[in-house]
Amino acid sequence: MAGTASNMIQRTSIIISVFSTSPGIGKTVIAINLAAGLANEGYKVCLADLDLQFGDVLNYLKLNSSNTVAGAQRAYLDNPENFRIENFLTEYRIGKLEFSILPAPRFIYDAYQTDVQILTSIIKQMDYYDFIILDLNSMFSSLNLAMLDMSTIINYIGVIDFLPALKNYKIGYDTLLRFEYEESKIRLIENRADSQKLIEGKDVERLLGEPFYHRFPNDFPAVNKSINAGQPLMFAAPDSRLTESFYNLVGRYTNRQSTVKPEIKSNGGLFSTITKGIGKFFGF
Amino acid sequence: MAYRVIVIEEDSDMLEDIVATLRRSPDFEVSSTYKTAKAAIGPASMFNPNLFFINIDNEETLNILETFDSVFPGAYVLGMMAQWDALKAQRAMEAGITGCIIKPFTAKEVLEYLQLYAARGKHEPARFISFFSPKGRSGRTTLAALLALLIAEKTGERVALIDADLQFGDLPIFFDLAPKRTLVDATQDIKLLTPMTFAPYFSEIKKGVSLLASPDRPEYAELVSPENLVEVVAMTGNIFRYVLIDLPAGFNPLSLNVCRMSDVVFVTTMINSGFEINHVRKSLEMFNSQFDDDKVNVKTVFTRVNPFTEDQRLKIELKLNYPVDVMIPNEYRMISIANSGRLSRGLPPDTLLMKSVNSMADKVIAAANERR
Repeated sequence: MAGTASNMIQRTSIIISVFSTSPGIGKTVIAINLAAGLANEGYKVCLADLDLQFGDVLNYLKLNSSNTVAGAQRAYLDNPENFRIENFLTEYRIGKLEFSILPAPRFIYDAYQTDVQILTSIIKQMDYYDFIILDLNSMFSSLNLAMLDMSTIINYIGVIDFLPALKNYKIGYDTLLRFEYEESKIRLIENRADSQKLIEGKDVERLLGEPFYHRFPNDFPAVNKSINAGQPLMFAAPDSRLTESFYNLVGRYTNRQSTVKPEIKSNGGLFSTITKGIGKFFGF
Repeated sequence: MAYRVIVIEEDSDMLEDIVATLRRSPDFEVSSTYKTAKAAIGPASMFNPNLFFINIDNEETLNILETFDSVFPGAYVLGMMAQWDALKAQRAMEAGITGCIIKPFTAKEVLEYLQLYAARGKHEPARFISFFSPKGRSGRTTLAALLALLIAEKTGERVALIDADLQFGDLPIFFDLAPKRTLVDATQDIKLLTPMTFAPYFSEIKKGVSLLASPDRPEYAELVSPENLVEVVAMTGNIFRYVLIDLPAGFNPLSLNVCRMSDVVFVTTMINSGFEINHVRKSLEMFNSQFDDDKVNVKTVFTRVNPFTEDQRLKIELKLNYPVDVMIPNEYRMISIANSGRLSRGLPPDTLLMKSVNSMADKVIAAANERR
């Protein structure tokens, strides 16, 4: 392994991956707002867009950058000794808030050429961040498995509005368990939990044998506003219930001591049972 | 009535074997035999044959097969191979033969093959149609399924749906099926299969439409090699006149290989945030860089287009810098129909969505018939 300056200080980042088995269910929005929420609490955060072929992180934040995973990989291959990941990141700044982004390649051909091992080494070099958020795509690919292996926790996201989505959520969860990821590492998160739909959240929990760790309410206009403005929800839609829900989830991840605002009302009772025994950062 | 048969085979032992087999059956009447295809073309017409067995393990024969199709239109032509060779079978099919058979064979097998190939539809090469989407949640699978049903209904020819979305294929849910065998089994077994032994890997959805399902565990996708998948798709073309392949989202070696062998690739997209148009543009660039010949025809489809107007089409085309070939409107009933496994009964034909898919099916059929 290449030794760099950042490796001198022995410390470990908390790596939070955002994963799902259905596409188009809000992973990127969740990843961006987790990154923003953590940065807002003073942590040093990097968001890596690992939906390599069709990543939307830059799009959703109205950023343009020629720094990408592809450039980082080329530089790493050219000269692993002198490789510095800092040179391939892009900063997102709004007000006092700031976090770094490792953007996805601009061309699909470059995405196609990405090497899992090199990318793993590159992510490992980001250990000077408090939190690294990984925005993954919806496949059990070798890249995603390598990233899930590295993750401190896996946010496994589902929108259960459609029978195939439920099937894929269940299959994905069973597969994660079969691959021997610890249950405590997998956080089941329901997105658009209160939108009108044919399938009830509690039936999903019964099917999975596990309660949701967190549920995001549906607020399509707020998300739309956020994407159109290129700003995280806390700026684009500060009063949205969804924004509040992100605040609460971030609070659970940072063990924030301030009073926790109520969750989606109907599910208030559910969470109190899971939140027992939260450690320094997480419940394990 | 017995078939009037001509056998063309250069190996005399094999020829003797085949003739003896056919003569023992009341269903066949061997009119004449020839060593080479060239020698057969003129004299064979004297016997008014309606079934040919032609050894195609021979480059020269493969090259003149097309002549048979024009001199004996309407006759069944079975290409004989000692071992299944997907490439050879494909070339022979493109030359207009009925289908291929492994030699030696029994009379019963010949009858079964003839039945299989007659049900397939026109003696024309299969039409391979791939459904690609950049990110998924695009309406791709629903569109492929609806088209398969419509094409079968309109043509009376056999249509295959291959669920190549290996990790998270949804087609069995749409049709409320629990298939026993899957595409993974087929790719594992392909080297040993013939069209006859391969046919039972499909589950019938409805008369004329069959599904080759994806596996029920995502990790089984690992077992599929791009080469074997291509062979499975190719063999499907021997049994089905139309082969519709539902690909996983994004580019991977499997989907690129299947696209490469397809006659047309429909890049299917649903516009939500607006950035999907960028994804299509990136995908088109990728296809462009990967396909150096003009054989593959890449077309764009936009689903749930709202407003469903020509003005909207122009807007998308302007942003995309590429034609929008098909636009499909939103239909709120679609989700509950797919959810309940009732897709095979379809939607009322007078809905705007069905009208759009209908006209798309007409275009697909027209393109399949104008090729030769």
